[in-house]
Amino acid sequence: MFGYLQIQKSELLVREYEAYKSVYCGLCRQMGRDYSHLARLILSYDCTFYAMLLMALSKSCSGFESGRCAFNPLKKCKYALCTGDAYSKASAFSVISAYYKLEDDLNDEGFFKKLMIRAVLPFFSHWRKKAAKKYPETDDYLRDMTEKQTNAEMLNDCSLDQAAHPTAQMLSSLFSSEVSDEAQKRVLSEFGYQLGRWIYLLDAADDYEKDKKRGRFNPYVSLSKKEDINRLESSLNQCLARAYDAYGLTDFKDFRGIFDNLLLLGLPTVQNKITDRFNGGNNE
Amino acid sequence: MNNPYEVLGVSETATDEEIKAAYRKLAKKYHPDNYNDSPLADIAEQKMKEINEAYDAINQMRQKGKGTDSQRSSGSSSYYGASSSQFYSVRIYIQRNMINQAEQVLDSTPMGNRTAEWYYLKGMCAYRRGFNEQAFNNFTTACNMDPNNGEYRAALNNMQSQRAYNYGGYNQPNNPNGGMGCSCCDVCAAMMCADCMCDCCGAGC
Repeated sequence: MFGYLQIQKSELLVREYEAYKSVYCGLCRQMGRDYSHLARLILSYDCTFYAMLLMALSKSCSGFESGRCAFNPLKKCKYALCTGDAYSKASAFSVISAYYKLEDDLNDEGFFKKLMIRAVLPFFSHWRKKAAKKYPETDDYLRDMTEKQTNAEMLNDCSLDQAAHPTAQMLSSLFSSEVSDEAQKRVLSEFGYQLGRWIYLLDAADDYEKDKKRGRFNPYVSLSKKEDINRLESSLNQCLARAYDAYGLTDFKDFRGIFDNLLLLGLPTVQNKITDRFNGGNNE
Repeated sequence: MNNPYEVLGVSETATDEEIKAAYRKLAKKYHPDNYNDSPLADIAEQKMKEINEAYDAINQMRQKGKGTDSQRSSGSSSYYGASSSQFYSVRIYIQRNMINQAEQVLDSTPMGNRTAEWYYLKGMCAYRRGFNEQAFNNFTTACNMDPNNGEYRAALNNMQSQRAYNYGGYNQPNNPNGGMGCSCCDVCAAMMCADCMCDCCGAGC
């Protein structure tokens, strides 16, 4: 995933922001423990979101503790404590998804970038193997997504729906596998699907100019006319609307304020920042 | 049944007013209108039923609710009534969330028989799958073919309101800046974004 799942900090309560940060720090610490200090670098907001969701679903956040930041020992940090395996699962997701992303980049980056990827890929490959051993399902979902994505992009007239499906499906399976209740499974499946779809469509719009320049695949045929932009915004809006409706039916209680903020303010802000680029570019 | 206070998310010491407010908020959230055509409509309906029962139970426990509070909405689900429809079986499949079967029947319909209803149902299948673009196109076609049909129109309107999603008051069409006038905030946001990019591809570049 790509770092789009951001909160809007200015609208969070202070305690909520602290909770959010302490999940971020907790996850960072776990990445260091499970993989390596180097792996901490790939920590993203998306995985923080995932860790938070896992903790909320399993009700496993048991409190907070103070400690020192591993990167900057002078800084004090709060860590969210977790009784389950939310952190290690989210860490596994991080390294596995980073590995597949790099592998995919190998196919369509330039010469120098490729060289760099080749240099770091062995590390990621090692981490991925380690993570996949612990969480084979996560690895299955992500590998499946990568394969289906490649196939979808080879279709002659790949529609937006088809292009977004693999990512959407991956998040859908990932989220719904966390609960056992049948109704909640369906709710989380829809939530994950629409959220994944949003991430994919937004990322594709974000990369549109770059992809066109390099002749790479991009699901948008054109984003130059006003009606194309309207269409883009509408389809993104609809994903968020459907994701939010599904979220309304979820049962979990923890971190609710943070999720509300994320879905209602954070994601639209991220989206607008990208779509504004196409709206005349006066917001550069 | 669960503790009715828990269902409404209020403490047992909450005042009647607080309970009513909590109930209203939830009733608005789970209202069937919010889940028109959604694959989760039945779950929302279930939730609605739960909060209705909880609210009634609290009122009874508090020896009040002698029919004074009856203006709450009951989940009037607008299920497909057209049993004379050509695609009756398709509608039943969709109702039961059996989308593959529904599409199978639709896809085997010869080109000549693809009426407005066919496009509507095709759109509904796509919608259930999460294929929003395809659903939107099909609903639009259905409405163009039969502009007077309320059912198709309602589905399209529902889509359009989702597509003009307006939570958090952002993205007002008349405000090109999307309400983000504060340049200081922009700087912060940009830095968060940059920070995140670093996190994402730190090892890659």
